[in-house]
Amino acid sequence: MNRRKFIQLVSHGLLGAGLLPRIAQAAAADDKRRLQFVFAQIKYRGGDWNPHPLAVTPLMEELMARTSVEADDARHEVTLIDRDLFNYPFLYLTGRYEFEPFSQEEVENLRRFLSYGGFMLIDDALGQQGYGFDKAARREMQRVFPGNEFKRIPPGHASLRSYYLLRRIGGVRIISPTLDGISIGSSMPVIYCQNDLGGAWERDQTGKWTNACTPGGEAQRRDAFHLGINLILYAMTENYKEDLIHVPFIRRRLTQ
Amino acid sequence: MQDFYLIGTLPLWLITLATIAIAALLLLQFLGLRQRLPLGQTIFLTLLRAVVYAGLIFFLFGPALIDRKTTKLRRPLTVLIDSSQSMGFPADPQAPVGEKTPPSRLDAVREKLTSGKEPLIEKLNREYDLRIARFGTSMEPIAPGSLAAIRAQDRGTRLIELLQAAARDGAAQSAILVFSDGIANGDRKSLDGMAPLSVPVFAVGVGQTQGFSDVRISKLGAPEFAFRGREFKIDLTVQASGMKGKTVPLFFNRGKNLITSRPIAIDSDQFEQKLTLAFMPKELGTHAFSVSIPAQPGEQIVPNNHKEFKVEVQRDKIRILTLSGSPAWNYRFLRMALKQDPLIELVSFVFLRTPTDTVDVPESQLSLIPFPIDDIFLEELKNFDVIFFDDFSHRAYFNPVYLDRVKDFVRDGGGLAMLGGTRAFDAGGYGDSALREVLPVELDGKGAFETRGAMQAALTPAGKAHPITRLLSDPKANEEAWRKLPPLTGINQIRGVRGETLLTAGGADGTSGAPLLAIGRFGKGRTLALMTDDAWRWNFIAVGNKETPQNHLKLMRQAVRWLAQEPSFEQVRLQPIPASQPGEKTVIKLRVLKDDFTPTREASIQLRVFGPEGEPIVIPIAADNEEGEYAGEFTPTREGTYRVEAEASLGGKVLGRDKTSFTAAYSYGEADDGLPRLDLLKQIAETSKGEYIPIDDWNDKALERIAARLESIAPSEIIEQRQIKLWSNVWPFAIMLGLLSVEWWMRRKWGLI
Repeated sequence: MNRRKFIQLVSHGLLGAGLLPRIAQAAAADDKRRLQFVFAQIKYRGGDWNPHPLAVTPLMEELMARTSVEADDARHEVTLIDRDLFNYPFLYLTGRYEFEPFSQEEVENLRRFLSYGGFMLIDDALGQQGYGFDKAARREMQRVFPGNEFKRIPPGHASLRSYYLLRRIGGVRIISPTLDGISIGSSMPVIYCQNDLGGAWERDQTGKWTNACTPGGEAQRRDAFHLGINLILYAMTENYKEDLIHVPFIRRRLTQ
Repeated sequence: MQDFYLIGTLPLWLITLATIAIAALLLLQFLGLRQRLPLGQTIFLTLLRAVVYAGLIFFLFGPALIDRKTTKLRRPLTVLIDSSQSMGFPADPQAPVGEKTPPSRLDAVREKLTSGKEPLIEKLNREYDLRIARFGTSMEPIAPGSLAAIRAQDRGTRLIELLQAAARDGAAQSAILVFSDGIANGDRKSLDGMAPLSVPVFAVGVGQTQGFSDVRISKLGAPEFAFRGREFKIDLTVQASGMKGKTVPLFFNRGKNLITSRPIAIDSDQFEQKLTLAFMPKELGTHAFSVSIPAQPGEQIVPNNHKEFKVEVQRDKIRILTLSGSPAWNYRFLRMALKQDPLIELVSFVFLRTPTDTVDVPESQLSLIPFPIDDIFLEELKNFDVIFFDDFSHRAYFNPVYLDRVKDFVRDGGGLAMLGGTRAFDAGGYGDSALREVLPVELDGKGAFETRGAMQAALTPAGKAHPITRLLSDPKANEEAWRKLPPLTGINQIRGVRGETLLTAGGADGTSGAPLLAIGRFGKGRTLALMTDDAWRWNFIAVGNKETPQNHLKLMRQAVRWLAQEPSFEQVRLQPIPASQPGEKTVIKLRVLKDDFTPTREASIQLRVFGPEGEPIVIPIAADNEEGEYAGEFTPTREGTYRVEAEASLGGKVLGRDKTSFTAAYSYGEADDGLPRLDLLKQIAETSKGEYIPIDDWNDKALERIAARLESIAPSEIIEQRQIKLWSNVWPFAIMLGLLSVEWWMRRKWGLI
């Protein structure tokens, strides 16, 4: 049994035991809280679209505890051809293994989504460059934005300053100390992390962390949460922190 | 009186030859007669013939009488008196300063021309064919008796140009007598490259350069308009005469408030220093500025120490302040709409954290900046055009008393928009705030934010006509566009609408359903209330439905323009044109926006300038460097007001029209420099073969000298003469015929015939 089969079996077992988190229903009519943010995760064919089924709730709890964002504490699963895809301007694409190519309709939908204000966080749960999920994700993004390669995000980018002033990129393992991104004009609608952020966010039903973060331990996990919050706020405020009024203040803080 | 002249035209040698021949003939006659007559009779007859011959030879010399008659003419003389403002300066710079105003340069001229037993002007009037005119920017004939009424009030001196005109108009052999201080500030300021005047100019110089002491601000170049928040510069020149070694302060003020001051060290007798000063206006409107140097001891001319100018401060962009209660998609897409609009400058504050949120890191690791309440509400608010309260409640962040400032801001002309959500309207505690009477909706403190199923927005009758909700120009297509917009899921309940309702939600049509978009006015300002936090769906969900996001973007941009009171949503705007001088190139700039308020380089422009007489001139215009901006050049040819009209069209459809005007006028700077330019007067006199006379040396002898000089150029007497040719008279020939008859008779008597 290879590793891929094992993980699938474990996932099915958890599903059978009813241990998977409930599937979020965004903006339920009877919910008295006005949800401003729903974490939508892309389901795709092939590979493993759901390597960390319990990752989102801890992140949402952290988001609500630290920021003014009212968020649904559960994720919403969505495919790229769902009618309600555009109800969720923040998308999360993760996995371990190589997955099937998107259909042409999916590619066009995703291109339209990202070109008109949507945002997608790509998270490599395997952490092997040029292999598995990384290979498939890069391949599909080339189909979405032909000729527009991933580029390393500079340290001063708004996504690293949207809430926390981040100097490090967390995750389960530090495959890359930086993020990559695809730019369209002045915005960056796609950000790619190869450090398995979801693995660092995930907590089991008993409240224990599912994965140990190496080599930085809990500080590295905290960095992963900070990055998750920053990317959500970046998606919702775009390059707001690059406005002139913020720049001198942030510069002072960074030199402290 | 008659004079005798020999006016013969025959050469002397011919006459001499004839005389010799006649003498020989007489000798032959004498010898012939002597053989036949006694000596006495021979001599008598020879003498008779000699007399006849002598008469003939005399007539060969052309004897004539010339009758002369002399007539004296009154020579034309043009007297020009400088009546420009500089002639009002003191004639004598060293005159004692007392209570009485020292005589001006014009007073000195009047004194010379009109004082005494026989005033000079009368003498001139008697002896010359006198034409008198006063001049400054133009020339105006005056009567000799009206010298006392001349005032030094012309705002410029076109000395050289008007002397040329007077010389052209003057009669032959006329002369010009000009009284002036020599200041020339028209088109021509020197004689360089100019042909000498055709009549002699006698220049009487007024004012003195020796002991002249003055510091002045000249050549002030300031923009007529500037943009708020952008530094503008003024260029000026400080000149000083006779103040070497002094240091004077220069003050730059806005109204009475000092902006800056500079010390000016004067290091030469004829001092000149160019300076550039800068100021960044923060407030809109017309502001008065001044640059000044305090009056210095002994200074002759004080008014030229001070210059004032006005600058109209405009907004180059609509400045918007957004306060968002939290990060949200509504903010995200509102920001996108506003940021993409080149006419909008956005300053955003998003409250990323509430007071109950805790953080797990020191504050120094957060990018959050403290909301600068005092700076925003007490200082900077006036510099914004529109404020957005985007699902924002003041309650957790600042004292409601700051909302009074927002109320004042709107009353004074600002725009206020409140966008819905759980922190807006009654849900945000505005029902008992200062904004309650400002907003276009009625609040009672009970209205909650309600989450519903799908609610469709619908245009009200007012909304169908209003420019904010006009997504398409065709009314039916516009209604259809609104019908197609994605439905909303939440709405703020309000008690009613105080202003106009443009949109409703959740009803069958625009006449039913809950108010969704309302607008109103408060004081000079405008207000807007959008009772939902779901407007972003009109953008992104529409994209998902394969529709365009433009409707949302356009709605937001139109709302901003309406709130900012942009001149009736003009898509075609001529920029203000600064005043210029005739002959100076003037750039006319035009900004063109498409129907969605984005700039275009593809528009077809017709630009026309109408001159002071209303004559139209078509100006070629082309796209400029900046997107949506077009520029054309025009050079006014004369003084006056020029009207500019522009029309822009795109794809055959007229986008809009605009008109403005500007003035072209010479900037003489008459009072800038009071130093007499006697050297110029000397030069004019010399090149025209006239004479320069300082006014102190002007007396009867000077007048005689002028007369003598004119006489030497061309006499003023006309001599009439009549010629009487003696040979054309019958008597000489009758006498000769008589003599020949006597000779014939004597010859007969003496038996020779």
